[in-house]
Amino acid sequence: MSDFPVKEYPFTIHVPDADLDLLQRKLDSTRLPDELELDGSQQWTYGTPLSSIKRLVARWREGYDWRKSEAEINKLPMYTRDISVDNFGTLNIHYVHQRSNVLDAIPLLFVHGWPGHFLEVRKLLPLLTEESADHPSFHVVAVSLPGYAFSEAPTKPGFGAPQFAEVFNKLMISLGYEEYVYQGGDWAHVLGIRAANMYGGRHIKAWHTNCPITKPKLSTILAHPSLIPRILASPFVKDAREAYATSKRYLSLECAYMKEQETRPQTLGYSLADSPVGLLAWIYEKLVAWSDDYPWTDDEVLEWVSIYWFSRAGPAASLRIYYEMSHGGTGDFFHGTQWIPIPTGVSYFPGEIVRLPKSWTRLLGNVVYQVEHDQGGHFAAHEVPERLACDLRKMFGRGGPAFGVVPGRSGYSLKKN
Amino acid sequence: MSQPFRLSVPDADLDLLHKKLDLTRFPDELDGAGWDYGVPLADVKRLVAHWKHGFDWRKSEAEINKLDMYTTDIQVDGFDKLNIHYVHQKSEVPNAIPLLFVHGWPGHFLEVRKLLPYLTSSSPDHPSFHVVAPSLPGFGFSEAPHKPGFAGYQYAEVVHKLMLSLGYNEYVYQGGDFGHTIGVFVVNKYGNTHVKAWHSNLPVYRIPTFFSNPLLFLELLTMPFNKYIRDKVQTSLRIRKKEFGYFMVQSTKPQTIGYSFADSPVGLLAWIYEKLVAASDNYPWTDDEVLEWISIYWHARAGPAASARIYYELTRGNEASDMFEGTSWTSVPLGVAHFPGERISLPKSWAHMLGKVVQESFHEKGGHFAAFEAPEALAGDLRKMFGKGGPAYGVVSGKDGY
Repeated sequence: MSDFPVKEYPFTIHVPDADLDLLQRKLDSTRLPDELELDGSQQWTYGTPLSSIKRLVARWREGYDWRKSEAEINKLPMYTRDISVDNFGTLNIHYVHQRSNVLDAIPLLFVHGWPGHFLEVRKLLPLLTEESADHPSFHVVAVSLPGYAFSEAPTKPGFGAPQFAEVFNKLMISLGYEEYVYQGGDWAHVLGIRAANMYGGRHIKAWHTNCPITKPKLSTILAHPSLIPRILASPFVKDAREAYATSKRYLSLECAYMKEQETRPQTLGYSLADSPVGLLAWIYEKLVAWSDDYPWTDDEVLEWVSIYWFSRAGPAASLRIYYEMSHGGTGDFFHGTQWIPIPTGVSYFPGEIVRLPKSWTRLLGNVVYQVEHDQGGHFAAHEVPERLACDLRKMFGRGGPAFGVVPGRSGYSLKKN
Repeated sequence: MSQPFRLSVPDADLDLLHKKLDLTRFPDELDGAGWDYGVPLADVKRLVAHWKHGFDWRKSEAEINKLDMYTTDIQVDGFDKLNIHYVHQKSEVPNAIPLLFVHGWPGHFLEVRKLLPYLTSSSPDHPSFHVVAPSLPGFGFSEAPHKPGFAGYQYAEVVHKLMLSLGYNEYVYQGGDFGHTIGVFVVNKYGNTHVKAWHSNLPVYRIPTFFSNPLLFLELLTMPFNKYIRDKVQTSLRIRKKEFGYFMVQSTKPQTIGYSFADSPVGLLAWIYEKLVAASDNYPWTDDEVLEWISIYWHARAGPAASARIYYELTRGNEASDMFEGTSWTSVPLGVAHFPGERISLPKSWAHMLGKVVQESFHEKGGHFAAFEAPEALAGDLRKMFGKGGPAYGVVSGKDGY
C-alpha cells in the first residue's frame, strides 16, 4: 500500500460521547406499543414482532458495545475525499479502499443500497483482494452513498441518478482508477445502470449485479427482437410465473416503506431520527424479510442499525434517494436509462425480494455471465460472500467472459513462481 | 353497565412525555424543500417547542372533562368484551333524535365537540338530537381489540350495541373517513331495522361496474369525453399516488410504524400533522389545537400504535380489493355532503352506488374534518335532512326532534 501514489485522507469513526449518552437516555425512556395476540407463524403479519424488539432493545441498552464495534470497523482502511458534483457543490465522501498485493488487480467499485451500507463489503474484502494463481484479485473501493454512513448528504433537492453516478466515477478517477468495474445490488443496481450508461466503455469496463431488475421499455424490446418470443412465452414458463408471483406479492404487501419514502421521506424522517426503537423496527423488518434465513445475531443487527443512527447526516437523509429517483413518487426509477452494452454479469439469489423472469434479464444489457444460486438473499455480500466472490472471480478470471476488461489489470500477479 | 368517565392522564405519563420531548433529535432538511418531502422542519420545531413550554395538557383535559363522557363494556361476537369510551350529550328536547357520530383516522371523539351545541340545542325551527360519539376500539380512551380480524362488521357491532345499551333501539348515523366506512357496515347489518337514516361527509364506495350499476358504468365509459368526471378521477388518482404512503404503511405494517408512534412524540406529531394540514381546507390550526389533537393519540388508552391497525383489518392487509367487502347498496335513506377540501372526491353520481341518496349538499368551504372545520355547515345538513319537511323527517318513531 505504501507504493500507492495518490494521497488519501484516512478516516476513523469516533462517535462523540454526547451522542452515545443521548442514545442511552432515549433507550432508557423507550415506550413500546402493544401487540395483537398472534400465534407463532403469524408473528410478522402486522410488522416487526414485539418480542424481537424487546429483546433487541434490552441488548442495545445493556450488552451491545458500540465502542467495540467502532474499533473493529476502524481496522478497515477508510478514507474521506471531497468530490465536487455539478450544481451541488462539494460533498465529503466516505469510502473503504482495500488494495490487493497484486499490483495489477482489477479496480472494483462496490456500492450499497438501502437499508444497506458500506460495511456490506466487509466479508468480501479478504476474498476479493487475496492473491492466488487460481483466481483474479481486485482493488476494492466501497463508497458510502451521499447521505449514508459517514458521507455528507446533498443539501438541495434533485440529487438523482446522474449525480450519484458522477460521485462514483469521480471518486474512482481521483484514486487513479481511470478504468474499473462495478458491483452492486438494490440502489447500487439501479444507480449502476445509470453509471454504466454514462461512463460505460470509457471508464466502467464491465459490471455485475445481484439484483437484476429493470422496467423494460418497448423500444428496448423492439431493438432486441430475438428476445420477443421468450418474453411472450413468459406466462407459460414456471420461472416467469414464480417471478411474477414474487413481484406481485412484494408490490401489494411489502413495498409500503417504499411508497412512504418516495413521497414523504421528511415526515417519516422525524421518527427515524428521534426514535432508536422506531429506526430499529423499520430496518430490522427488512433485514429479516429480505435475507435468506440468515442467522442474524443481535449484535450484528444493532451494529447495522447503529450505522444509520450515528450516520453523519442522520437517518432521515438516507430516505431521500427514493424521492429523488421517483420524482416524489410520480415516476419510475429506470426512467432515462438505456440498454447496457458493456459486459454485464448477473447473479440470481433465491431470497431476492423482487425479480424479473430470467428471460427478461437480457433487456438489461449485454449479459455475458449469469449464475443462479440456491442460497442467499438481498444482502448477498453479507449473507453469502463466498458465493458472490466466486461469481466475480469466474466472471473476471482467466477463461471468464470478462477477463482482461481493464487493460493492464488482469487481476493476476506477473510474478512467476 | 356504563360509568361516568373522567380523563386523567397520570403524572408519570406526562413526565415521560416531557423527558422525551427534551431528548428530541431532529433530522436535517433540504434547502427550499417546503412541503414537498413532508412536514417542514420549521413547523415541527415550533410545535415541539410549544409542546415543551407552552401547551397545557391539564387545561385541555379540564375542558374535555366538561363533556358528558362515559365508558361501558360491549361484547362483540368472537372477541373479548371491550370497554368503550363515549360522549353522550342529551338534548333538553325529550323526543330528540338519537344520533351516532363516528370518527375516523387520524380523527377522534373530540371532532364532535363543536357540533354538540348545534345538534342538541332546542328550537322550533330545527330538530334536536341526542348525540352519542364513541372512541372507536383502539382509539382515544376505548380499549383496543386483542386479536386479529376485528374488521368492518366488528366495529359496526360495537357502535350499534352501544346505542342499544343506551336504550336507542332506533337511531340515525353520521360519519366521515372510517366513520363513513364503518357506517356502510352499520347500515348493511342494522339498516332499516335500527338505523333509520344515515349521513356521510366522505361518500366513497366502489367504482361502478357493468354488473353493479350499468348506468353509472356507462357514464364512466364516457370518461375520456367527460371533463368533469375525468378531472375528479384524475385528481383522486394523483392524490392517491402522492399522499397514500401512510395508507400503505398502516394497511400492511402497522406494527412496524407503531414502534415510532409509541416511542417518538415528534414522530407521531409529524405523521398526523401532515394529514391535519393536507386534508383540511385551509383550516387555521392553532398550535394548541394541533397539540391537543396529537395528545389524544399520544395518551390513548391503547397507545397510538393500536389505531393504525384499522387500516390493516379493513383492507385485510391490503389483500382486499376494497374496504367494503361484504357490503352492498342499501335502501336506508342517505344524506351526503361534499366539502371542497376533501381530497378524495369521486363523481357525485357515484354516491348512488352507496345507498338511497335523499339529500345531497355542496359546500364552499370545509375539508376532511368537516365536523371540526365547518360544524355549522354540517349541522345545517343534518337539520335540513331530519327537520320538518326534510327527506328523513320522523324516521325514528316517536322521536322527530321537536
